[in-house]
Amino acid sequence: MTAFVQHFIVSLKLHLRNRMALVYGFIFPTIFLVAFWVLYRFEQVPLVRHMGELLTVTALGGACFGLPTTMVSERERGVWRRYRLAPVATATLVAGTIAARFVLLLAAAIVQLALAMALGMPWPAHPLELFVAFTLVSFAFIGLGLVIAMMADTVPAVQALGQCIFLPMLIIGGVAVPLATLPEWAQRLSSFFPGRYAVEAIHASVMGSGLTATRFAAAALILIGGAGLLASVMMFRWDAQQRFAAMRSRSWIAVALAAWIAVGLSAESTGRRARVPAQPASTGTATPPPQTAAAEPRPAPPVPDAPIVTTTPPASPAPAPVREPARTESTSPKPAPPTPVPLPQPATPAPPAGTATAPSVPPPAPPPPAGDTKHASWRDVTMADIDRDLIFTRLPPDEGVVTPIARLDEEPDPPIAAQLDKLSGALPSWAPGKVKDPVQRVRNLLYVAAVPDVFQMTDLEKFIPLVVYDHIQTEIPRDDLIKILYWIALHPFEGDDSAVDQLRPLGLNSGPADMETTRDRLSVYAVKLLGRITGKIKIE
Amino acid sequence: MSPEPLVRVHDLRKRYDSVDAVCGVSFEIGAGEIFGLLGPNGAGKTTTVECIIGLREADAGDIHVCGIDARQQPRDVKQRIGAALQTTALQDKITPREALALFGSFYARSATPSQLLDRFAIADKADAPFDSLSGGQRQRLALALAFVNNPELVFLDEPTAGLDPQSRHELHDEIRRMKQDGHTVLLTTHYLEEAETLCDRVAIIDRGRIVACGAPHDLTARAKARPTCTLWTSQPLTNELFAGIGGVEDLSIDGATARFSSRRINAAVGEVLKRLDDRGIEVAELRVQRASLERVFLDVTSAADASGQP
Repeated sequence: MTAFVQHFIVSLKLHLRNRMALVYGFIFPTIFLVAFWVLYRFEQVPLVRHMGELLTVTALGGACFGLPTTMVSERERGVWRRYRLAPVATATLVAGTIAARFVLLLAAAIVQLALAMALGMPWPAHPLELFVAFTLVSFAFIGLGLVIAMMADTVPAVQALGQCIFLPMLIIGGVAVPLATLPEWAQRLSSFFPGRYAVEAIHASVMGSGLTATRFAAAALILIGGAGLLASVMMFRWDAQQRFAAMRSRSWIAVALAAWIAVGLSAESTGRRARVPAQPASTGTATPPPQTAAAEPRPAPPVPDAPIVTTTPPASPAPAPVREPARTESTSPKPAPPTPVPLPQPATPAPPAGTATAPSVPPPAPPPPAGDTKHASWRDVTMADIDRDLIFTRLPPDEGVVTPIARLDEEPDPPIAAQLDKLSGALPSWAPGKVKDPVQRVRNLLYVAAVPDVFQMTDLEKFIPLVVYDHIQTEIPRDDLIKILYWIALHPFEGDDSAVDQLRPLGLNSGPADMETTRDRLSVYAVKLLGRITGKIKIE
Repeated sequence: MSPEPLVRVHDLRKRYDSVDAVCGVSFEIGAGEIFGLLGPNGAGKTTTVECIIGLREADAGDIHVCGIDARQQPRDVKQRIGAALQTTALQDKITPREALALFGSFYARSATPSQLLDRFAIADKADAPFDSLSGGQRQRLALALAFVNNPELVFLDEPTAGLDPQSRHELHDEIRRMKQDGHTVLLTTHYLEEAETLCDRVAIIDRGRIVACGAPHDLTARAKARPTCTLWTSQPLTNELFAGIGGVEDLSIDGATARFSSRRINAAVGEVLKRLDDRGIEVAELRVQRASLERVFLDVTSAADASGQP
């Protein structure tokens, strides 16, 4: 039997006899998968949108921690020094090591996929391309792991170096935290990390667009893996007495780094970074139209928590953070609730601690004052009211975490498209969308967009508003809709909210615990639709 | 020594930063010899051996092993040599059978694991994990690995270090068997007695230079040290007994025991025995020792100290 095959088999056997390696290689990925499943439990298709992250974390952990830990540990105890006494080529031993590690990564990935499918995930859209994508991801990370193995003098040094790569890749490299939620500088930086391309390649193979749609990611992974492999072979050391700092060949580390830089610069220069929805500091698609007639000087850069509504001091008491009984709030020109105690600022009860709000992003806007004193009915609203009271430039960006809306040219992945088709087909017959009161009807329909936003149903939530907006505009005449939307924006805590518990016929989960946040989001979606209808928000 | 040396090292040099670890070492090893390389810690013997077997690259000098230039064709040399390093380094969970199969796959020709397991008496531990083996079993496995390619030349680096007397004795027998089977052995050891009993020739290396080389009995015969006589008698002894005997030096008396050295040991011992007989004192035990390899070692290494060689 050849040296390669023998070394490959022995490496596999030794790994399977190492309990800690099995825990890190197989149990941890399973824990990650369960954690993602629990975290995104409201998604209709469990885990399908997270296999990119999950499989990338598996490959990253096994290749950047497991591989170098094994190699450095063997080098420290003299195994590799003993190998060197034999007439065997370095490349043969390294190839056996790489092949064994790849098989282990692949086995862990298959376990994850099988478990995910047991939890309801469908068969990957392109299984063969997924295999190719995972192979490329493994190649890139194994190259990186070999570089770590050559740089680290001791096993603790492997842990330190590995964390230096693992954590940034997870947090700002697009592996664990969605790129869309990251600030501009982090998105730029992520272009230089292989983790981002790993997620992209696997995601495309699982979700439908296929590996051919992510050629750049595939090329980036090959380049980064190849450079790491070359650098590690040139820096290869057999003996623990050789210290990295004293090695003449240590400058080969520059080759591995150069690959990262080349990939990042290439992504920048080809505009690939723009594919990730930016988190604009300015306006995104909600570009302030010149004619926006805010009653006060236009704020300089919009900030997410700046108020959208600028009115005279609110006059109504803060609405109670509980579901209110249905009211026929406006079909008949009933007077607004009495406002005996003017409050100094819009009052939104603070969401209870631990409720499901978007992490690290402040609420988009305090609720509008609960009831202006100028009109008793939505029918009395005028464009002057809108121009005076609403500041569209302060809306959260459509590309952000809070109240996202997909671009018109953005194509959902097939599983998402299927869900949207179901939603679109069910909306016309959805009972809450047929109630007589037009304001309540619009409210109910806007809840269809607001609830998934509160649940953070990434990828799906941003497409739902487009479906909902289209349907609302078929239901309500434009002029009435403008007034109703303004009315809802200023009165988010009025009306019935029982519709949130009736979303299942639409293929959505019902019942967010945090109704205050849900009503907040509803009011923002109302203003966004209002801006689109009136041209206050320009859509490219 | 054989006219065709199996190992020829000439003017070998190796430097670490500012330290000359090996400076101009030259020696030859004939086929079928057991050759010992001795020296104090840091003398350069390990670096010398590592340069020969390809673990380190020499800065200068010629190394020929089995007629092959070891600096130019190290892999060809490795096909024909075997080595057991001081510490046997293998993964904790690998079994002797797996290790032998793995290392056997590295060579063009190799013995089967079962042959080696039987020969080195570890067949009963063939499938036990490495971390469960005793020190002696590990050392036997190391020897088995060194013989996996049936080498012409075997390097043994401190092969008995840390072993119990029984294991050491068994290993000595194994090394003698290697010679009987026609293998050439180069061993490093700090047990001078071991070198004296096992080696056909030894080289003593100190501060990167060979300071003595030859058969152990030749070295001891050439030693500056004089033979020593130790005497145990039935009655206490006095200095007066030894007075006037020509050649007696370094006399020390402790009750009924006396010790002295002499360049003319036969005449000195004869005169002492005559005087004891005259006084009616019986000899309980008498021992004459020539210079040991240890004495030679101390002489040559202290001479290097005195000459201030680097």
